[in-house]
Amino acid sequence: MSVDSGRSMLGRCACGALVGGMRLWQIVGRPVAGPNCRFHPSCSEYGVEAVQTHGALRGSWLAASRILRCNPWNPGGYDPVPLPRAIAGAVADIGSAQEASMQ
Amino acid sequence: MDIRRVILATLLSALVLLGFDYFMPQPKPQPAVATQEHADTQASRPPSAAAPGSAAADDGVPARLPIDAVDVSGSVNLRGARLDDLVLRGYHETVKPGSPLVRVLEAQGQPHPTYVEFGWYGQPGQTVRLPDAHSVWKTDAQKLGSNSPVTLSWSNDAGLTFEIVLAIDRDYMFTVTQRVRNATGDQVALVPYSRVVRAYTPEETGGMLVHEGPISVINGRMEEGSYKSLRTNSTAPNFVSWSASGTGGWAGITDKYWLAAVVPDQKSDVNGTYGFDTPAGAYEVGFTGRAPVTVAANGVGESTAHVFAGAKEVRLLERYENELHIPDFWKAVDFGWFAFLTRPVFFVLDWLYQLFGNFGLALLTFTLIVKTLFFPLAAKGFRSAAAMRSVQPKMQAIRERYKSDPVQMNQKIMQLYREEGVNPASGCLPLLIQAPVFWCLYKDLYVTIEMRHAPFFGWIHDLSAPDPTNLFNLFGLIPWDPTTLSGMLLLGVWPILYGATMFLMQKMNPATVDPAQKQIFMAMPFIFTFFMARQPVGLVIYYCWNNLLTVAQQMVIQRVHRDRSKTTIIPPAKKARKG
Repeated sequence: MSVDSGRSMLGRCACGALVGGMRLWQIVGRPVAGPNCRFHPSCSEYGVEAVQTHGALRGSWLAASRILRCNPWNPGGYDPVPLPRAIAGAVADIGSAQEASMQ
Repeated sequence: MDIRRVILATLLSALVLLGFDYFMPQPKPQPAVATQEHADTQASRPPSAAAPGSAAADDGVPARLPIDAVDVSGSVNLRGARLDDLVLRGYHETVKPGSPLVRVLEAQGQPHPTYVEFGWYGQPGQTVRLPDAHSVWKTDAQKLGSNSPVTLSWSNDAGLTFEIVLAIDRDYMFTVTQRVRNATGDQVALVPYSRVVRAYTPEETGGMLVHEGPISVINGRMEEGSYKSLRTNSTAPNFVSWSASGTGGWAGITDKYWLAAVVPDQKSDVNGTYGFDTPAGAYEVGFTGRAPVTVAANGVGESTAHVFAGAKEVRLLERYENELHIPDFWKAVDFGWFAFLTRPVFFVLDWLYQLFGNFGLALLTFTLIVKTLFFPLAAKGFRSAAAMRSVQPKMQAIRERYKSDPVQMNQKIMQLYREEGVNPASGCLPLLIQAPVFWCLYKDLYVTIEMRHAPFFGWIHDLSAPDPTNLFNLFGLIPWDPTTLSGMLLLGVWPILYGATMFLMQKMNPATVDPAQKQIFMAMPFIFTFFMARQPVGLVIYYCWNNLLTVAQQMVIQRVHRDRSKTTIIPPAKKARKG
């Protein structure tokens, strides 16, 4: 899952710090706050995955927008981290290729 | 796997607690008297042009002019014209009856020397004799009182007469007007200076949360220095570690609640400097004029400055900022990076305090207001509670089916919620919005003097200190202080109540399905109770009250929905047990 190899030292440090912070929240913060999340995976889990797959910048952005979505006016539910663009493109290509071959 | 997670969680929690101990302020036992040695006569560098003959022997009783003002009392040291003896009438050191008044300025030779001095530097090459730390000044009055100024004078016996007009208002602001009368027949150029000197290193009480030490605002830029940086960066011969030039500003040495600062004339060009006089062991923070005041033959030269020495009362600092045009004087209170939030919250709290006369009640009312504001969010979250019951059978089926795979189970449940358009949680965003409120209360409780020694009911005499009661000596039945053994051995009544309310809240909320997490969740109220026991009790009271309100809110919303669902959707006999 991790695509760390292509990242700079700074980027990896930032990712590590972000993931560490969110893990800490999961263990220490969440028990106090109680389960509040309307989604699966929960916002913190989503954040960890987003940072791991998309890097610190885009990952943080995804996590922030997820938290903004996590409010009473959103129905919530299953909401996984989007695939990286390259992989998503490949998956789409495979899909369309399959469709084409089926026709 | 499960047990490993539990151990990991415990270790991490311990780490957080210890980390907090390290970074955050802790109640300390009465600090030991500073042991720094310093020669009595050397703590202040004499002005550069001081004539050698001025070192008159420090014999006899030092002459002092009493200060008897509305909010402060003390005396002016007529040897050196120093402000080095000032206590605050309105503040005691501890909440115990008969506790001594807080001292903000203290003379050399005492355990905590902190004083303010002002004067003139000569120009290089000049041989004019100037007043220094040993000069004994004459006074024209018996005492200095609020709005009754005093004039001190000293002559160099060579045609120059120096005068200092000292005035103090009803609070903590001195006005210092320095004058030079020139009868020498020659033009004289002198540079005015003023500075705060502290000849000991105080024990810092505020940790990372409150800045203590040198502080200044020059040219609109605040500079917070540390005692350590002054010590390491000051080198002979000037012993200056930092400097900035600008027009006006203010600079001083601050404690958590007290400040001694010098404020030059806001129209004058000045150099502000921090430094540590290594031989004397004295921190010096102050201003020097950038251009000399030129006094013509038979003329008079003048330089005006203000000296603040007192408590950092938020509204008073604002008043001085407005009336005396001292830039950003409010920043003397360390409201932090989030001042745009912490300050407004403080003003709301202070307003409520004016209303109720008690900061504890103000805190509770404030929490109630915040809860009311967020009520629609919570209510919206619970609104689907009735619909929840209709999906109960389906949920039960999922639970049965994915018993062995909690991740899969959660996923399916969430999917179900979405399909049915129900969701019991109110979301992470409302939670996140409330976090800054908590931070504001925390910060305000810590930094503002208004919360210091603010009483609550019963045994709470200081909301900004930890609950003094302790389970480990049976609330005082055993005449022994367990905290002398370890800081962890403290568990007051309020923290215990806090733990109970947190437990109650957990009981009311749907438990998480992962058994390992369940164990961690159960352990958390316990761990946090110990943690909160060492925080300001005001915060613990806030948390108790907040938890209680959350529980009450949930009960109200659930009752409303239950009543509605009784008449519409579900017959009472089939009512699900959960909820």
